[in-house]
Amino acid sequence: MTVADIYKTDPVKGGPDGGVMRRLNMGTGILGGVVLALIFNLVIKELADDTVHEVDVRATVTMVGWALGFMAGMGAFTGPFRWLVGRDLTHADEVFLAGKDQGVGRYFRFTTDHKVVGIQYLVLVMVMLGAGGTMAMLIRTDLISPNSGFLGPQTYNSLVGIHGLTMILATIIMVTGPFGNFVVPLMIGARDMAFPRLNALSLWLLVAMLPVLYSAAFLGGIPMGWVGYTPIADQGPAGVDSYMVAIVIFAISTAVAGANITTTIITMRARGMTWTRTPIFVYGVMASVVLALPAFPMFMAAEILLVVDRLMGGGFYVPNRGGQPWLYQNLFWLMGHPEVYVILIPAVAALMELTAVFARKPLYSFRVAVLSIIGIVGLSVTVWAHHMFASGWAPDLNGPFMLTTEMISIPTGGLFLVILGTMWRGRIWTTLAMMCTYAMLWNFIIGGITGIYLSDVPLDYQLHGSMFVTAHFHYTLMGAGLTGAIGAMAYWFPKMTGRMLGKTSGFVSFWLVQIGFNVTFLGMFMVGLEGQPRRVVHYDAAYHTGNTISTIGAYFIGVGMLVLLYDMIASWRHGEPAPMNPWGAKTLEWTVPNPIPLENFAVLPVVTEDAYGYGEPAEPGPVRVPVPAGAEAGPEEDEGAMA
Amino acid sequence: MSETSTTQRRVPWWRSQDARVIAALWAGFTILGVIFALIVPHHLMGPSASNTMTEVERTFTAFSVASAPVAAVVWTLGVYSLWRWRRRGDWTPDDPDGPPLRGHGWLNGVWMFASSALCLFLLIWGLAALSSVDSPATASTPLEIDVTGQQWVWTFTYPDDGNVESDQLYLPIDRPVVFRVTSYDVIHSFWVPAMGIKVDANPGMTTTTQTTPDRLGIYEVKCAELCGLLHADMETDAHVVSSQDFEAWTASQGGS
Repeated sequence: MTVADIYKTDPVKGGPDGGVMRRLNMGTGILGGVVLALIFNLVIKELADDTVHEVDVRATVTMVGWALGFMAGMGAFTGPFRWLVGRDLTHADEVFLAGKDQGVGRYFRFTTDHKVVGIQYLVLVMVMLGAGGTMAMLIRTDLISPNSGFLGPQTYNSLVGIHGLTMILATIIMVTGPFGNFVVPLMIGARDMAFPRLNALSLWLLVAMLPVLYSAAFLGGIPMGWVGYTPIADQGPAGVDSYMVAIVIFAISTAVAGANITTTIITMRARGMTWTRTPIFVYGVMASVVLALPAFPMFMAAEILLVVDRLMGGGFYVPNRGGQPWLYQNLFWLMGHPEVYVILIPAVAALMELTAVFARKPLYSFRVAVLSIIGIVGLSVTVWAHHMFASGWAPDLNGPFMLTTEMISIPTGGLFLVILGTMWRGRIWTTLAMMCTYAMLWNFIIGGITGIYLSDVPLDYQLHGSMFVTAHFHYTLMGAGLTGAIGAMAYWFPKMTGRMLGKTSGFVSFWLVQIGFNVTFLGMFMVGLEGQPRRVVHYDAAYHTGNTISTIGAYFIGVGMLVLLYDMIASWRHGEPAPMNPWGAKTLEWTVPNPIPLENFAVLPVVTEDAYGYGEPAEPGPVRVPVPAGAEAGPEEDEGAMA
Repeated sequence: MSETSTTQRRVPWWRSQDARVIAALWAGFTILGVIFALIVPHHLMGPSASNTMTEVERTFTAFSVASAPVAAVVWTLGVYSLWRWRRRGDWTPDDPDGPPLRGHGWLNGVWMFASSALCLFLLIWGLAALSSVDSPATASTPLEIDVTGQQWVWTFTYPDDGNVESDQLYLPIDRPVVFRVTSYDVIHSFWVPAMGIKVDANPGMTTTTQTTPDRLGIYEVKCAELCGLLHADMETDAHVVSSQDFEAWTASQGGS
């Protein structure tokens, strides 16, 4: 009796193939969104006329209408709806949904193929990074001189908030979105994700979210920065409603994606791929989404309470109604600190994966790598209040939170050990992807050390809320995280697009971005130590030098990113066709041909060893080289190997 | 393992070229880092105006010095591997792989032990510094000042001196001072960069911070939490004056 027999169900009684679902795409989605938004707006105008919170209620309900209408117009609800009315999707419908033989059009539909979703995520991340980066350029231009007057205070305050939120959301999805969706199923030898429709749902929810987020610009902006602290959020204009609705949509998308990726990794690994044979990048992606699963509901809950405050006159965060601003901060940072590791872990894991390939060596101490990731995941949910040392909340807890925060440096050091150990005596091929590993090491050690200063309570009293903090988290999230994502992109670009990434412009972009990055944020450390607060539209003349340095560096990053964008688009369109396995890697995604067939593997692979057997005999069995007679055994053998 | 490394095993590892160059690089990076740590942060943070800021600068310098050898390990191994083990030209399928090192138990142990020891050092230092800046001053009765933030000004009230109110901060030198901080509207953050003190001003709640100013002069008071339109302008001056001048000032403000 086979598995198929056990799970045999009644034959599906579907309707005729085709129908309206085959005509749905992004166009009908936008149409549906606009129509439903208008309907919701008019209805709520009647219902909530002349109430205290009328503007906020109308804004919020309209945005919810847009999101629902957009998703319905995209066809996100087709499957459940057809099932409800008793005409479940047929095999032909499913094949259509997977985007078989649809050309470019499938990228603008509710397509379930994980490879399509991965590319969609990649483009979405690039759009968001472009938007956030443009805002960064505006911010830095304003700060080029003490009183430039380039931006007004209201515009500036909104801009730092929307820049921050855009970048945080983009970096959260920048590795687990494109590469988690495209690469992970291939890497574990699966034909698709566990829940392909949820996969498409998570992506298109993000697309629905973007107009909501950016509508803040037309609704008075957000006055409170990306953290959305109350009570200033309570007094903000309708732009804050955009913020709240966008966060809720994003949290739903993350939950859906997290459940999907976790299920896929746990249940759909190829036969023989035990946990010790699972590539480290898969661990990284899994750690990231598992961490996001408890983290983002906190943020969502925080925003839902804020919705109640703003729209219905609740008082969760309003002191004179018995509320507590510190409640918001706790909920926010319960998301906010795990979130930085949601961003960082998969980026670093991708670099570990490709370091083994480009050093032509096994990953150094797979066990330390896995335990470090697990250690970071575990500790990162216990450190949130180090963002609140200076808030005055629970001074007695400052010591314990300092302890947990400093303990994270131990597993983080383990990640460094694994990467440095893998480089040791390797045959290092300095491709763009490998250069990103080096840049990450440089940036992350600076980001990590400055993080230790901030974990120290007395130092944090001084540095909290200053440009020093801004520089620190850009070093970790951008210097380590984004650099890791660029490395991952450079590494998997041949598999994802079937073409090689252009070399020259890649290196030009690398050096522009990395040098510009270090100039920008070393300048920012400087003004932070001198005493410049964050989020100020103008500043004292004493900070002029550091700010000018930062702005010049930022322009270098901007130009470098444009070069990278050019490189990606040009290579994507007419780059040199990529061979099946251009890097000589041993993971499964490189065993499928270009272009990748819809079902990935004609025959599902069986795994007999891990993917890091570089320099080891190919046959399965003991991989340890026997010690030659006469040579010392034990640790001495290891030391000999180090020489 | 290849023949080369069998031959190399006769040379003790600590006398190999790798080890020597790495040690030299590491020492060089460490020395540069320590010099940087001793000079630059102190220079940027400027002269300290309180015992708290002295502690802050001391901690910053100590952590920087302690970090220099750690960062030097990473930079050394990175630079050395790029210089020594970089492949010239592209990889081809016929190229030999690197040695299959899958980790050494002793190195993992040493690494973890070293990072745990460093972490313990940070923690002990941090707790000691924390108790020194957070402990209420006992030498003399502290001066109590009520600080109130509102969009976008600071107000300082001196309850000990007949509730004198001022939009500028006046402090007598060498007398401990306790700030009781609150806000009328949104969250602000009371920050005197030269004194190394900062605490949020929360509506409906009072938070405290304390220090002892020990240097005459005029310093800046800033808001360190985005508080709306004119956040960047929410600044005023802190005057540290002699105790006679302080009494003269309270008297001139109508205080007792």
